[in-house]
Amino acid sequence: MELQERLNEVFCQVFDDDDIRIAPEMTADDIDGWDSLSHVNLIVAVEATFGIRFTHKEVLTFKNIGDLLNCITAKVQ
Amino acid sequence: MPFNSLDYFLFLPAVYLVFYLAGDRARWGVLLAASFGFYAALKVPYLPAVLALVAVSTYCFGIWLHRAQAPGAKRALLWGGVAANVLVLVVMKYLPFLSENLRGVTQLFSLEFQVPAVRALVAIGVSYYVFQAISYLIDIYYEVEEPEPHFGYFALYLSFFPKLLQGPIERAGDLLPQLKTPYRFDYDNMRYGMLLFAWGLFKKMVLADRLGIYADAVYNDVHAASGLQLLLGTYAYAFQICMDFSGYTDMALGTARLFNISLTQNFNSPYLATSVADFWRRWHISFSRWILDYIFKPLQMQWRDWRTWGTALALVTAFLISGIWHGASWGFVIWGGLHGLYMACSVFYKPYQKKIYQAFGIQKSPYLKYWQMLVTFHLVCFAWVFFRVNTLSDALYICTFKFLSVRHRGASLLVHGFDRGDARLVFVAATLVVLGGWLSRHERAQRMWNGSTLLRWGCYNALVLALIFLGVKSQGTFIYFNF
Repeated sequence: MELQERLNEVFCQVFDDDDIRIAPEMTADDIDGWDSLSHVNLIVAVEATFGIRFTHKEVLTFKNIGDLLNCITAKVQ
Repeated sequence: MPFNSLDYFLFLPAVYLVFYLAGDRARWGVLLAASFGFYAALKVPYLPAVLALVAVSTYCFGIWLHRAQAPGAKRALLWGGVAANVLVLVVMKYLPFLSENLRGVTQLFSLEFQVPAVRALVAIGVSYYVFQAISYLIDIYYEVEEPEPHFGYFALYLSFFPKLLQGPIERAGDLLPQLKTPYRFDYDNMRYGMLLFAWGLFKKMVLADRLGIYADAVYNDVHAASGLQLLLGTYAYAFQICMDFSGYTDMALGTARLFNISLTQNFNSPYLATSVADFWRRWHISFSRWILDYIFKPLQMQWRDWRTWGTALALVTAFLISGIWHGASWGFVIWGGLHGLYMACSVFYKPYQKKIYQAFGIQKSPYLKYWQMLVTFHLVCFAWVFFRVNTLSDALYICTFKFLSVRHRGASLLVHGFDRGDARLVFVAATLVVLGGWLSRHERAQRMWNGSTLLRWGCYNALVLALIFLGVKSQGTFIYFNF
């Protein structure tokens, strides 16, 4: 399965919404329920799904889903 | 020199005139000198020295942090810079509180060790610029920002007088580039700045200070107040603190706009929030963003393996720090703890919220939003009780409903110093503030405002007359001055 699709599944699971369709340019404003409180749940779920660990600096500098995707790609390769 | 003083009404035009006549290369110097002069006008000799100390130490740590290569050295420098700032804050604000509580502990355990009593220092503005300094160092550490090489501009970023005493707490990336932009006279900015200043003064003098008469009368003698007066006094205080601080912020933003500088908006109709989390996105925005970015998020990341419990614990810790930041007293600690508790509970409740609404069939009700606003407002008001009370025993008296056992025969809703005329004025002024806020967000109203000279000048004159004839004359200090 392509990385973006797997990430999409994580988003659907964390935000309890099967209709979410993520795109690289999307931000927290585009997804209902994605706020600073739920952000870390997303990060933990992504880490568990892909078997990776983000640093605080990486998490701080994500501007959109594209940045998150790029970071995951770099870590799983 | 508060914004609502005659001294400031003379100081501001004088500074603007010198700033306007000076060339771009000298303007930072004019503003820096004005800012230190403004701070020195508080007549507390050590305050400008503390500001200079924070500026010099943070500037040096910023440069060293940027130059350091090894991760260990970077981390040590970050902690060194943050510790230096926290130390300044502790010495200026918290030593008497720490000493008093330590003395209590030694007495409790009958220890022979004597903790010396410490005299409280005046610390106006310190918590605001120390928080700015800490954010500057952390942003350099995470390479979000580059250090400012010009010491003058850096010192001005910390000390810029419109936001020196009560914020907004500005990020270097937002303010420094504006301070360096060459100044060109802009009629719209000048007009908007003066209007915003006068509007803030209206909120403060006509509304906040008048509501303060009611809240003070009730809270300065809670045992004499009836239950209804205590309830109204709490509502009065909730709106007093909101109008006082948002009025101050308008005056700060208005002053800065005269110099073509846009400061961060600190308020966005906070009592229309539909949850406590939403309240903190609308109340003292620059401060809550600071707490979120520099306390909550790092702790939440650190404790992320504990999942929801980690988030809840990070929230309680962040809000306890927020409470202590407001002042060294147990009332503020409880206020912060309560907000932390509200937020922590919401983290556990959130996954069930949708399901509960669906079970009751109210998820699409048009009234749901209003119910949420009402509940949020009352949760916030309950926390304000601890923020406002003079002593913790007063808070205990209110929260345990002891006032119900006291007879208040024929107790009026009004209190000494606040008559029916004041109540009517509060109603009219509050309606105007709500209407003004609503109109400023509507494009059509904006077009009408800009297109009609008669309407604009009519409003300017009405505003000035309202300030002269309806403002509370005894000059009230701003509540957030104390923090």
